[in-house]
Order: sequence, then C-alpha cells, then structure tokens
Amino acid sequence: MAIRLQRLPSASPAVALAARAIAILLALVTAGLLLAASGAQPLKLAQQVLKSTFGSGFGLEDVGLLVTPLILTGLSVAVALRIGAWNIGAEGQFYAGAFAATGVALFIPGPSIVMLPLMFIAGALGGLIWILVPTLARAYADVSELITTLLLNFVATLLVYYVATGPWLDPGGHALATTARLKHDMPEFIGIVHWGFPMAILLAVITAATFSFTRWGYEVRIAGSNPQAAKYAGMPFRRHLIVVMLLSGAIAGIAGMLEVAGTVHRLQGGISNNFGYLGIMVAVLARGSCIGVIAGAALMAVILNSGIILQTQGVNTSTVLAITGLILFFTAVGDELAHFRIVSSKPAEA
Amino acid sequence: MAMPDVTERPRPAPGTPPLVQLRGIAKYFPGVVANQDVDLEVRPGEIHALLGENGAGKSTLMNILTGIYQPDAGEIIIDGYLKSFASPVEAIAAGIGMVHQHFKLVRAFTVAENIHLGWSETPRRISAQELEARTAQLSASLNLAVRPDARVDELSTGEQQRVEILRVLARNARVLILDEPTAVLTPSEARELFKALKEFVARGNAVIFISHKLDEVLEISDRITVLRGGRKVATEPTSACNEKMLAKLMVGHEIVLDDLRARGPNAIAKSNEPVVSLREVTARDSTGHTVLNKVSLEIAGGEILGIAGVAGNGQKELSELLTGMRAASSGQIMLGGRDVSAASAGDFVDFGVGHIPEDRLRSGLAPALSVTDNAVIREYDRAPVSLGPWYRPRAAAALARRIAEAAAVMVPNYSMPIRNLSGGNQQRFVARREMRIATKLLVAAYPSRGLDVGAINTMMRYFVELRDAGVGIVVISEELEELLNLSDRIAVMFHGEIMGIVDSAGADIEQIGLMMGGQRAATPVRAAAMVH
Repeated sequence: MAIRLQRLPSASPAVALAARAIAILLALVTAGLLLAASGAQPLKLAQQVLKSTFGSGFGLEDVGLLVTPLILTGLSVAVALRIGAWNIGAEGQFYAGAFAATGVALFIPGPSIVMLPLMFIAGALGGLIWILVPTLARAYADVSELITTLLLNFVATLLVYYVATGPWLDPGGHALATTARLKHDMPEFIGIVHWGFPMAILLAVITAATFSFTRWGYEVRIAGSNPQAAKYAGMPFRRHLIVVMLLSGAIAGIAGMLEVAGTVHRLQGGISNNFGYLGIMVAVLARGSCIGVIAGAALMAVILNSGIILQTQGVNTSTVLAITGLILFFTAVGDELAHFRIVSSKPAEA
Repeated sequence: MAMPDVTERPRPAPGTPPLVQLRGIAKYFPGVVANQDVDLEVRPGEIHALLGENGAGKSTLMNILTGIYQPDAGEIIIDGYLKSFASPVEAIAAGIGMVHQHFKLVRAFTVAENIHLGWSETPRRISAQELEARTAQLSASLNLAVRPDARVDELSTGEQQRVEILRVLARNARVLILDEPTAVLTPSEARELFKALKEFVARGNAVIFISHKLDEVLEISDRITVLRGGRKVATEPTSACNEKMLAKLMVGHEIVLDDLRARGPNAIAKSNEPVVSLREVTARDSTGHTVLNKVSLEIAGGEILGIAGVAGNGQKELSELLTGMRAASSGQIMLGGRDVSAASAGDFVDFGVGHIPEDRLRSGLAPALSVTDNAVIREYDRAPVSLGPWYRPRAAAALARRIAEAAAVMVPNYSMPIRNLSGGNQQRFVARREMRIATKLLVAAYPSRGLDVGAINTMMRYFVELRDAGVGIVVISEELEELLNLSDRIAVMFHGEIMGIVDSAGADIEQIGLMMGGQRAATPVRAAAMVH
C-alpha cells in the first residue's frame, strides 16, 4: 500500500468550503497560541469578542457599519477581476468618491431628499474619474493598471488630507482636521446601520445577476478569461475592459460616499480605514464571486470588529493586523490543499 | 535514405546487456491504469520508437524511466543493474536524459549559459568567454552545431531543440528520450535532427523516440514498440512494419486513412459559384511587414481546399483573414457575393463561417471557463441561448450537451473548466461547435496537430460530412498526405504568397515539395475555382 497525494485540476465546492472553515479555525487557534505565549488569555479574549459581537444588537450594528464599505470595495475589486484587471486603487477611488460627495453636500444647497441622490451620483463619478486614467492607459497603451491604480491611492489620500485640514476645514472650529458636519445623513435602516447596508447588498446582487444573466456579462466573462478567445469570437475586448474598469471605480466611489453620508458625516483624513485595501482581501476570499463578496465582507467585518474589541482589552493593533494576515494566509493554503486528494494504490497482483 | 546507415551501424557484441530494460512496469492513477505489465528493452546503437494514441501511456512510461514518477510495480534495469530513480537528477546521473515537447530553456540566457545551468560540472567562477568556449567544444565533440553566444529567444525552434539535446548529452546521457521532437520542426530541420540522432546511436548510445507520425517512425527507427491502453501490444523490428499495420496496432482495429475525396450518393455537388473569393489580398503585421502578398483564391461550396506549406509562411494569417480576425491592407474579400473586406470576426460568424483555430487553447477556448461557457461562444448572441439582452444559462447548458453528444465527448460536469478535457476531446468539441455555424465556409488550421490516428480520422470524417452538405472547407496542414487524401485542390504557400494550386487527383508530390520551397507552379495559377 502506498499513500500518495494527487492534485485535481479543480476542487469540488464542498471540499473547498470545508477547507475554508478548517483554515479559519486553524488560523484562530494559531493566533490564540501566539496570544497565550505573549501572556494574554486567549479563551477569555475569545469569549469577550463573541459576547461583544454577537451578544447584543449593538455589536451586530457595529459589524453592519463595517460591512457596508467592505462589500462595496470588495465588489469593486471583484468586478475588475472579471475582465482580468487588478484594481488595487479602490482605496483611492473610495477617497475620491467621499471627496466628491462632500463637495456637493458642502457647496450646493438643497433638501436632503434631492441632495442624497446627488451625492450618490457625485460619489460614483468621483470614483469613476479616479480610475479613468489608469483605465485608458491600460486599454490603449497596455500600461499595467496594478501600478497606476496603486499610485493614485496616495494622491487621493493626500488630496483629502489637504482639503480637510485646509480649504474645507470646519469653519466652526470644533474639530482640527475635518470638514464641517454634513447636513445630509443617510437615513437609518436598523439601529445605527444606515440604508447604505441594504444598498450595498442589492448592488452586489444586481452585479452578480448582470454577469450571470446578460449577454454582456457572458462577453465580459469570456474576454476576462482569455482576450484571444474574445477576439476570435468577435467581442470588443477593449470596450468591455473600459466599461468594467470604470464600473469598478464607480462602485468604490459609492462606498466612499456612503461612508461620509452614513457613518462619519464629515470628510477627514484617514476616513477610508483601509477599506480599499481590505476590499482586495474580501475579493480574494470571495474568489472573485460578486455574491461571495457579501460573505467575505461579513467575515472581514467581524475580524475588524473583533480587533477593535481586542484593542480595548489591551491587545495592540499590530497583533490584530497579524491575525487578519494569518487568516488570509491559512485560507490561501486551504484553497490550494482543497485541490488534493489522498489516494492509496495497491501494487498489482503478480 | 535510412537504409545504408542501419546496415553500417555497429552491432553490439553478443552478451552486451540492453542499455535500458523495463520489466512489468505498472502505474495507476485513481480510476485509470496508466501502465500495466509493460516490458521495454532498448539496446545500445538503436533508435527505438514508442508509438501509441493519446493516453496510451507513453508519457507515463517515460516519466517513470526519467524518475518523475515512481512505478507501482516492476523493475528498471540500466546496463544490467537494477535501479530506482527518486528524481530526474538520479536518472540523468544514470545516463538517461529527456528532451520534452515544450523546451525547458531560459529564454533570456545565452546558449552557453543554458547548457551550464544546474550542472554539477560547471565551475563555480567562470567568465562568459570560458563558458562559451566550453560550449563550443561540447558542440564540436558531440557534432551538434549551436551558437554559444546567441540568446535563446533569438533562436529558431530547431536551434532551441539542438540546445536542449546538447544540454542533455553534455551530461553524458547514453539514452536520449525525445517526445514528439518533429512536431515543431520544418522538414529540413527534421532531417538534420535525424542525422544527429543517427550519429549519436552510432557511438553505442540509444534513442527512445516518441511520436504519432507513422511515416517518420518508419523512416528513423530500428525497432518499434506500440502501447495501447497502458499495455504493450507489440515490439517489432521496423523492417517488418508498415503504416497500415502500425495504425491497426495502435487503435486496435483497422483505420482507413485512405482516399476521402469520393462523394457519397447523397452529397451535394460542388457549386459553380465560389462561397469565398480573395482578390489580390495583401496583409501586414503590426510592424508593417508583409505577411500575405497579393493572394487570390476561390473556394466553391462542397469543395475542400488544402493549404500546404512549411508552417510560418502565411497560413495562420490566411486563416485569420478568412474568418475576419485580421483586416486586409489591400484587396477584396467576397463572401457569397458580398464584399466583407471590412467586416469583423463577429460578422463572419453571422455570415456562416466557422473557424477551428491553430492553437485551440490560446484562441478557440477560454480554458479556465466552464464547458458550457465555451460551448456557446458562437451562438450566445442568438436564440435560444439569449433573448434580447438576456443570457439563459439553462439554454446554454442544453446547447453544450448537444455539442458534446455530437462530438462523442463524455463530460462528467458541464460547469468544470474545459481545460480538464483531454486535447483530443477539446479538438472534437471545438470542431463540432464550429460545424454548427459553418453553413458557408469552415476554416480549419492544423486540425490534426497533436491528435492520434483515431482522432485524426474522426476529424477528417467531420470535414467530409460538411463538404457533402455543400459547405466550402479550407484545411491548413503540414501533413501533405493528409491533404492529398482529403482535399480536392491544394494551394501551396511560401513567404505569404500562393505558389500555385494543383488538383489532388494525380498531383505530383515532388512538384508540391518544390513549390513549398519557393518555386512557382509551371502552369499559371488558376484564377477561377475548378468547375466540373
């Protein structure tokens, strides 16, 4: 009897899901061991986290606030992946969307019922404009969008810092580095969770349905998987690339608008909370699936929220970041291992 | 041409053990017997051909011999000693080296650097000049001409293959395994390879030559072993073999790769009107280089036109032009009386033009997507797969099932990536998909490349079926015999031009060979399609 590992070309969904669950569990166990080694009491911490997150409506509401931007930034990255593009710039588009929405709110007078849709459109346009140059550079000059979208993140971050501490600084002078409180709030949905949450889920569902049930979605699927095959089938690869990348930017911009109008109510430096970068993780966790993004974002939101709770318990921020990294790392290993199966082969009868 | 060499070759003294002996080799994969009870004996001084269909177990057997796999049963005996190889490094140390179908060279390195890469005898500190001098010496002593200072990416495929072979031989390999070595070579490069192989075995070494091509196996080898279904079915001296018998051994029943030009009783006769005509069409590549020069062609409905020529003489460009994937820079393309010079690939599909592309994985399929997604790539924009802007996954899956059934491809799961299908199955699947839309013209570029005899035969039958239904067919191939058996006329290409068009009936192979080398046909090129 010989026992061997055999790699399968594609993993079955059930095995993949089980591998995910085991991976996350193992990551948490590893993190617990490390915490124990550094003198903390992991079981007690875990209990505290579970109680604070799921033990009360407030905990779930906190998670709900975090999950909204994560769904959208994750969706933004996942959408770009459909055409084979890596949008590393959801962070920058998030800032651009928040900036544009704030500008509209600060400088155009009007009732909230008109202003909120206007801010929504401004947010989407802001994100779209932020990805416009990388999109055109990729489509017409084959410049890697990975680099250009990443670099524009720093521009957007600094732009928001500048306006929030400079020209748009709160004239009331109550805050040092933010704009004035915006007059238009996203109405609340449940508790402190605003209507952005159902909107984000709806957007993910609509996007997923568009990819699955329209001719356009089919063309994007082919073009993203193999541009040569798209050319062979007479599909306009460049046009699809441009439309999909702009859509990706717009979705990240909407995330920025909702964060300003629903959660923070002011534009300030660091408003993105790294949601743009975390969106990359969410999309990877979701394996590029638009519906999967909802689950990926939920997991990420629980991790982030747990991190906040852990910080109140005296665990420092780098540890929290390391736990996030561990989970992602274990998941990647689990995904690969899901491709293998163990086989035992008997030697032939002589 | 092979005969004098064979008789002159020194016979090993009686009692000399075989260089390689495999006994009772077995290898199992889940649900698959890759090898069972395989015996193989390779003697010094011989070229031993290994024949078999796709999936017959040739590659598995060679992977066992070179240490990539370990056998589940059986013995490997080298030079009379029992061995077991845990890795390819141990196999090469025992004198067994393999040149794979896809070269494993570092393209940005020079030839000398590639030869010395990962070799225990490479000095730790050495200048580029010394490396090149050592390489030149090796090249001279092994009689394989290479340019030591050339970068691999500027070499032709034939030259790269010589570098691979030199790399293996430099490590004192006594048994050289070649996997489909001529698939990437021009005829003259293949002749050079054969010459080098014969010199190599004349020094008492041995070659194991894996191939699908019966004619070249008959030309080069001393003995032939045929595998079928993972088992050895025969080992015969080449002098006792012929093509018919080998084909039969490979597939287990007699294959008729014979004349397919005869029309069936219900066949639609060749039409008088051409379905496609090219008038003085010229095309350039992105650097402005002329790839097709004033090509004029007419293809009638119900006719098969073969395109012969050494690969890289404009055939690929011609197939792209005929399917709308490439625009002509001048000239006119008419399809069913309509000028389509400016039409797109999508328009050609609507006009009823099917295309089996040269490299199905690169352009005909999206390998990572599902069987269903790949099945509907031609018909996704019409009912029943789509209704207006809506795509209907269920209708798409139904169409995928129909195509798989017509192609006799077993698909366990239609949502699995199509790359999980074997090469032969992919090709039949693509062919059936294209036949559905090819109501006027089917363009097939190298349709038999990488397929075994049985699968090639199936492809040819598909073309005949379509021809008898009145569709015009263009088949591009480097296998002249295949073209002669299948097509009504053969056009020969050289440097982007058509050297001439000949009737297959009574065609002179010598003349076609000369045209492939750049000589024009003696009779002027016929401007119009042959009309009976």
